[in-house]
Amino acid sequence: MSPGTFVLYQEQVDRINAALLRLLKKAEAKCALLADQDGHLITRQGFTQSLDTTALAALLAGSFASTREIARLVGEPEFSVLFHQGVRDHIHICLVGERYILAIVFDDRTTIGMVRLYAKETADRLKELTMPVANARADLSADFTASAGAQIDSMFNE
Amino acid sequence: MVSINYAFREISCKVVYYGPGLSGKTTNLQYVHDRVPAKSRGDLISLATEADRTLYFDFLPIHVGDIGGFSTKFQLYTVPGQVFYNATRKLVLRGVDGIVFVADSQTAKMDENIESLANMYENLRENDIDQQAMPIVFQYNKRDLPEISSIEELEKILNPEGRPYSEASAVKGVGVFDTMKRITKLVLEDTKRRTSGQQPMSSPAPNEMLVSSGPVSQLPKAPTAGDGWNTGRHGAGAVAVEEPSVASKVARGQISESASTSGPIETGLPGRSRQSAGRETGAPVMSAQKSTRIRRRQRSLFDRLFGWLFGR
Repeated sequence: MSPGTFVLYQEQVDRINAALLRLLKKAEAKCALLADQDGHLITRQGFTQSLDTTALAALLAGSFASTREIARLVGEPEFSVLFHQGVRDHIHICLVGERYILAIVFDDRTTIGMVRLYAKETADRLKELTMPVANARADLSADFTASAGAQIDSMFNE
Repeated sequence: MVSINYAFREISCKVVYYGPGLSGKTTNLQYVHDRVPAKSRGDLISLATEADRTLYFDFLPIHVGDIGGFSTKFQLYTVPGQVFYNATRKLVLRGVDGIVFVADSQTAKMDENIESLANMYENLRENDIDQQAMPIVFQYNKRDLPEISSIEELEKILNPEGRPYSEASAVKGVGVFDTMKRITKLVLEDTKRRTSGQQPMSSPAPNEMLVSSGPVSQLPKAPTAGDGWNTGRHGAGAVAVEEPSVASKVARGQISESASTSGPIETGLPGRSRQSAGRETGAPVMSAQKSTRIRRRQRSLFDRLFGWLFGR
């Protein structure tokens, strides 16, 4: 993997999506999304049409980052699970390895216990699936920088 | 860290607007949000106090379009500028791919600029981010106000290494897009370089194509081959610097942050919490067998006491 970049391939994301779908089916949750701890959304499954998943990923990463600091302040290495309870919908968030965050949105058709159980199982599976591929490299086209220059100039034209 | 997702043919980069309190970081994002077409941006999310001061961060996702077959997105963040929010600033810097340092041009604010810049370099170090390889653009904001420092003075003090800069009046929208162009191009150029297996950029001057927009005359002169930031770069920019400035010494770790500023700056977690965390991990763990023995003994004592009280 190139330093400063993280590459995920189609096959990896397909397998991640399959694992998330299995989780949704077993836990009877509404949707699940995987983000990295820098706030980038990796993928999502379930009913996400009404959700701003880009913003959600950034806020989840922020929330987890601050929770980690809180953990350190009280002498814990990490709080690996976060749970927010709402009136109708609830969200369960857990760490996947060192780099990723799995968030599951669910309502009262299921229980927190079911979600926790399958979230743990899925997080273990996702940990394997998100392992960086050895010698992973992104092949950006030769004219990438020139194309970027033109696109950005046109986008931010005053 | 730039995320390249082949499944969605998507590149996602993180840019952080850093700078002292009230220098105009959030105003930059508000202007971008107002001027970029709605289909190319998400909502601006501000985690702010009741007085509209940034508490955690502002967040604005921008979609710049298809570049080289990849849908390219930038996530713009600001940090809270107030000194006592340093723990939060450090968190927001995690995984950053490019930084805009928004400096307040007012003469009275120079010390705050220096303090904030030193704090930024310190936080980059604490996050194990190589500041030399990090794309950074300086924005000298509030150029429309009276009592401002000259660009030469700001460059000499804050940017002796000659990184790209823009003059701006964010509240009027002047220079905001110019800054955006510079940082987004620098980040993508850096991404291309990294994915090609080349070394991170060791020179602050971006290539000619990338700096063709905006006030080119204000930009530092392009370096000659092999002319890196640490090797005689200081005299080659728009401003000749004879002596290393306070900021350059701070940037290279020659002066500690506290020595370069008049007041104390909170730099992350208190030492006590780290010590206690260390104690937690290093503490001997009582074996399960031993704790069962103790519980059994306690139960036996309790039974005898209970028997003595009620048994007779």
